[in-house]
Amino acid sequence: MKKEDTVKLISAEGFEFVIDKKAAMVSQTIRNMLTSPGSFAETEHGEVTFPEISTTILEKICQYFYWSLQYASGKETEFHIEPELTLELMMAANYLHT
Amino acid sequence: MSNNQKKRNFQIEAFKPKEVVDPKYAEKTWKILENAIHEIYNHIAGGLNLEELYHNAGGLNFEELYRNAYNMVLHKFGEKLYSGLVSTMTLHLKEISKSIEAAQGGLFLEELNRKWTDHNKALQMIRDILMYMDRTFIPSNHKTPVHELGLNLWRDNIIHSSKIQMRLLNTLLELILIERTGEVINRGLMRNIIKMLMDLGPSVYQEDFEKPFLEVSADFYRVESQKFIESCDCGDYLKKAERRLNEEIERVSHYLDAKSEAKITNVVEKEMIANHMLRLVHMENSGLVNMLLDDKYEDLGRMYNLFRRVPNGLSTIRDVMTSHIRDTGKQLVTDPERLKDPVEFVQCLLDEKDKYDKIISLAFNNDKTFQNALNSSFEFFINLNSRSPEFISLFVDDKLRKGLKGVSEEDVEIVLDKVMMLFRYLQEKDVFEKYYKQHLAKRLLSGKTVSDDAERSLIVKLKTECGYQFTSKLEGMFTDMKTSQDTMQGFYTSHGAELGDGPTLAVQVLTTGSWPTQPSVTCNLPAEMSALCEKFRSYYLGTHTGRRLSWQTNMGTADLKATFGKGQKHELNVSTYQMCVLMLFNNAERLSYKEIEQATEIPSPDLKRCLQSLACVKGKNVLRKEPMSKDIGEDDVFLVNDKFTSKFYKVKIGTVVAQKESEPEKQETRQRVEEDRKPQIEAAIVRIMKSRRVLDHNNIIAEVTKQLQSRFLANPGEIKKRIESLIERDFLERDNADRRLYRYLA
Repeated sequence: MKKEDTVKLISAEGFEFVIDKKAAMVSQTIRNMLTSPGSFAETEHGEVTFPEISTTILEKICQYFYWSLQYASGKETEFHIEPELTLELMMAANYLHT
Repeated sequence: MSNNQKKRNFQIEAFKPKEVVDPKYAEKTWKILENAIHEIYNHIAGGLNLEELYHNAGGLNFEELYRNAYNMVLHKFGEKLYSGLVSTMTLHLKEISKSIEAAQGGLFLEELNRKWTDHNKALQMIRDILMYMDRTFIPSNHKTPVHELGLNLWRDNIIHSSKIQMRLLNTLLELILIERTGEVINRGLMRNIIKMLMDLGPSVYQEDFEKPFLEVSADFYRVESQKFIESCDCGDYLKKAERRLNEEIERVSHYLDAKSEAKITNVVEKEMIANHMLRLVHMENSGLVNMLLDDKYEDLGRMYNLFRRVPNGLSTIRDVMTSHIRDTGKQLVTDPERLKDPVEFVQCLLDEKDKYDKIISLAFNNDKTFQNALNSSFEFFINLNSRSPEFISLFVDDKLRKGLKGVSEEDVEIVLDKVMMLFRYLQEKDVFEKYYKQHLAKRLLSGKTVSDDAERSLIVKLKTECGYQFTSKLEGMFTDMKTSQDTMQGFYTSHGAELGDGPTLAVQVLTTGSWPTQPSVTCNLPAEMSALCEKFRSYYLGTHTGRRLSWQTNMGTADLKATFGKGQKHELNVSTYQMCVLMLFNNAERLSYKEIEQATEIPSPDLKRCLQSLACVKGKNVLRKEPMSKDIGEDDVFLVNDKFTSKFYKVKIGTVVAQKESEPEKQETRQRVEEDRKPQIEAAIVRIMKSRRVLDHNNIIAEVTKQLQSRFLANPGEIKKRIESLIERDFLERDNADRRLYRYLA
């Protein structure tokens, strides 16, 4: 996979998730970060740090990105969310505009 | 996650972030964002890219900025964030405004354009960072979204700043003026600036540019058109106007709003065309009439295309063209010189029609209204001359006699179609019919018609134009010709043997009524001939009982074999009358006019004419006359011209043909036409009254006129006379109460 096609998402604890740009852009916020004309630091380096998102949540988010990319077109599948993660995940979703 | 979004608001409120405890939190966070906005502007202005900044000054981290803005909104500091944005951006725009104002001369627009590009870039970055506010705070608080806010602030602080607004407008108008004088300007820059005005909203474009632009353009073209019209002829003026129009259209396509096209072309049309329309059309030596006279298709086409753009433009052209055609047509049909040669006269009409047809098809886009105008003009002036029907028929006669020899069938059709077109213009179609019948009869009886197909084709055309009734008699004439041929064949098979070497006879039996026969005094035929005629009479009456046969000696022809003084032999093709005269000289050396008249009993005018053609036409003078003079006198004496010579064996001696009718003949024909109209008018009245039962006077006149229109224009006085006559004969009666009402009596 080419480096230009991927993006590195870093959690509050410093864990790094390297995923497809295409998947990351499911989030409107990340899409703006990567495509804004002013070339922000994120665009230049291909990595985004989220100091307020924990590793567990970020992992779940990345899973969601791929799930969404695959099934968003209406296929009847469930995206499983553990009940204890719900609240935090919700917060992150609002933040990421997903 | 998406299935949880609906409940998001509730979830967020339930969550209390830890930062909220810091009382200076809002102030601190805003500082970070304010700084970032400054940096964005500075950067873009400095031409640096953000990566350099990132390295130089710790950089701008999107996530951090976004998160800060996000948190401010989340913690109910949206209002602070928004008002902060407005004041920060305003501050920057004021700076920018100063730098634009400071730009000298030509650099002004460049600077404005550059700053605008910068502002747009910055605006987009700011919007991206503040996206969360745009998404949540702004809609729920009914604020202007960031992007639109940025444009509004730009408009208020830059475009509407007192030092820029007028300068911008003047610069733009100045550049357009320069371009109009033929110089090249930076169209790319113009396009960008105009695009900016359009981006700021349609009202900005219209108020700050379009309106003044149209006003200035109107002034410009008013002055220019005045200058042109004083110095140019019509054709040149139109060329210039057309070029200006195209330039404006091109300008719009290059750097103005497409919606401006209609407005600016409207201005040019009004100033350059509508305001000068009449002057252009009537311009001396180069106006519309001159163009028409000189067949200037290009100029005419240009005029048509330009004038059609303005109200009443086409009707102006049309009116002038109509009155011109009417005037020239009137001159044509009333010019006594023209009337001398009917064929030439009709050819002139056809040429005139061709000329205008060509103009309309080449220059006037085949416009229906122009064609109608042309038709009505022709109808107008053709009917000014009461002899038009006669002349048209003569033209056909000429064509069918000789004109169509060696012409292909299609060409014949074309000529006939053209004649039909003229025929359509005639109001007195029945007069045409009268003459046509006479001419056709002459053609048929003298065997002069060139092409049977052409004759029939014309009759078919007349039939489609005017109906069966119109042509039934004409067709009857053809039938008679055919039947006569058969009759003659029958006559010679049964009598051929007993006739021997005597003269041969060809009889055409004509149905009375179908042919324009005149009750003629029969002349005395030579003995040989009258014997033969009697034989034919008894043969014919033997096969057809209950008929009457009378001889129309005034319409026949004869071929004579003649031997002259030095033994030269000739075959003479002469009329029946001429034959009668010549045969007399078999038994006499010299005969006086009186003697000839007595012997033949030919009516005096006919006899004179026939003697004239026998004795006075050079090269065909088989008789000699004493005294030698041009005219035939009652005391003249005639002898056989023994010195007669001719290159040809066959000599055709035509009667001095009265091509055109003489004045008394014309009167006579006229009278016959009037007579024929009477029953037609009566029939029309009866037809109308039969269906309407009761009708007042004016309506009868109107309806009768309408019904007869296809044949002739009925004279109201005549209609009134016919009504009187019908009342006398108890077809109609006047209403007792209302004298203007007529009742049908059945």
